[in-house]
Amino acid sequence: MEIFQHLFFGFQVALQPVNLFFCFIGVLIGTLVGVLPGLGPVAAISLLLPATFHAPPVGSIIMLSGIYYGAMYGGSTTSILVNIPGEAASVVTALDGYQMARNGRAGAALGIAAFGSFIAGTLGVIGLAFLAPPLASIALKFGPPEYFSLMILGLTVLTFLAGGSMLKSLMMACAGVIIGNIGLDLVTAQPRFTFGLDILLDGVGLVPLIMGLFGVSEVLLNIEQEPDRREVFETKVRGLLPNRKDWQESFWPMIRGSLIGFFLGILPGGGAVISSFVSYGVEKKLSRTPEQFGKGAIAGVAGPEAANNSATAGAFIPLLTLGLPSNAVMAILLGALMIYGMPPGPKLITSHPQLFWGTIASMYLGNAMLLLLNLPLIGLWVKILKIPYPILFPLILLFCLIGAYSLNANAGEVGLMIFFGIFGYLLRKFKYDGAPLVLAMVLGPLMDNSLRQSLLLSGGSGMIFFARPICLIVLVAVIIILLLPLLRRRPRPQELMS
Amino acid sequence: MRNQDQFSSVVWFWVGIIIALWSLKYGLGSLSEPGIGFITFFAGSILALLAAILFLSSFRERKIPDPLRGLWRGLEIKKVIYVLLLLVAYPILLRPLGFLLCTFILLFLLFRVKGGYTLWTVLFISFLVTASAYLVFQVWLQVQLPRGIWG
Repeated sequence: MEIFQHLFFGFQVALQPVNLFFCFIGVLIGTLVGVLPGLGPVAAISLLLPATFHAPPVGSIIMLSGIYYGAMYGGSTTSILVNIPGEAASVVTALDGYQMARNGRAGAALGIAAFGSFIAGTLGVIGLAFLAPPLASIALKFGPPEYFSLMILGLTVLTFLAGGSMLKSLMMACAGVIIGNIGLDLVTAQPRFTFGLDILLDGVGLVPLIMGLFGVSEVLLNIEQEPDRREVFETKVRGLLPNRKDWQESFWPMIRGSLIGFFLGILPGGGAVISSFVSYGVEKKLSRTPEQFGKGAIAGVAGPEAANNSATAGAFIPLLTLGLPSNAVMAILLGALMIYGMPPGPKLITSHPQLFWGTIASMYLGNAMLLLLNLPLIGLWVKILKIPYPILFPLILLFCLIGAYSLNANAGEVGLMIFFGIFGYLLRKFKYDGAPLVLAMVLGPLMDNSLRQSLLLSGGSGMIFFARPICLIVLVAVIIILLLPLLRRRPRPQELMS
Repeated sequence: MRNQDQFSSVVWFWVGIIIALWSLKYGLGSLSEPGIGFITFFAGSILALLAAILFLSSFRERKIPDPLRGLWRGLEIKKVIYVLLLLVAYPILLRPLGFLLCTFILLFLLFRVKGGYTLWTVLFISFLVTASAYLVFQVWLQVQLPRGIWG
């Protein structure tokens, strides 16, 4: 079968020593990022993106992808040992994982989290390999109206599922579209909202924006807090291999979590965080002993951990096949691919097969590396957890400053990053979510282009969006999602857990 | 205006209006040939509309709204401002002083923000990190960092 030939080719690419090295570095950094609270995969990918401009594109994407799914593994370690999720997708793991640790079962919790992540990650990669090519061939039939509708759907779903107020998330999406259209217009080359600044002629750079919005703002928020008094579980971690009873109780939650995570990860706006909450809610509803949830139920660890890992694989599908990012991390990867001159979309499989299949195969290898890294190195991660934040935050800021400067050896980029750092800090103080803004900023120019091409095709008639079946279905879905909060109270992910 | 949502919605409302008006200046074009201000006009208008809705809905909230000052109550805001000033000064002084000196000074000042470390500890760590950063970025990644007073 053709798929297996492609996968074999992918493994040939992924197993090249240089790509193996990048994969290893990516998953190692990802785990580290997941372990350290306050630094998520978005910030880490933002910080490392400029460094990848000196590296081969395939290796760079393998590394950046490794950071994303590696962070899911690392986040569970702090959730279980410290009751502080290192990563938002590991919030639910803390509910039962920490209780297991308090009951002397930290080893079993860490072990099942690692194995569950591995199994789910592997299933997710298999799903990605089999679903992506047929979806890409369907996507070849898409035109500008379909792309415009899908982008609107993506933004709408993300705002619906984002934390906090949907109204505020929609405002962020509008702001992102505006920011994304700063610079020279693609069609007429006229400057738009540049305010006479040369630095804005090429538009607002993705790197300074995300480094400022997520990296610098996170540091500023942490600085104003009281000194942290993290208490790391000092109990010796024993018995990392789950026993038979643990496997019996975890097997079906892992399988269900893998499916939930994979399909939610595909949806624009879905992702690891939502998947983990939904999985927890499902396991609690299906369990014969739901009263054990919150007190150390192993299914409460296995399901969400599987879900958040398989979601990372699912999230690659719309990015690689349609060129549409489903979350902020994918938006950054989209930006990276465009900078490398490899725009994702239905033609990526045929124009850059080594990137497509190499990345998929590397994800399988990365999952295997993570399983080997996480269990034996638990002691090391515990030590790293103890790095005081007063030492850590200057390093993060320095990385941001050099990273922004290194783009074009221009202090203006650093200034832009600081501006977005202040902007991001204020956004979070006033409870606005930055993810819709980033997604909309990346999609903004693409939306402008698709909209103008659609209207040119139709001779100015907006009916083109309703005359084409895919557009019609998508836009009806958008309208339903926008009206849902008015029709009934929107169930928040936390409510699925009760 | 003390309510957080009221304040932020007023700001966003005016941002939306200004963007929409500025987009008119760029030109909306026609439906068959949209101009460069087309999408930003609609984005700005929708932003202003949503901000107005947020402003009005903030009056309907049953629970007592958080006051503006409450955002920073009990927090070390002076440290945030101090760090921001350092960050702003860094790119300005980077070229004249050079990467090595500027980075060393920045790190020295940042490490003293929250930690209670001795002067020698801070000096040592600042030196170590500056040297490591130079090796990684200038030597390994070939990023052209300014030499300043050294060159």
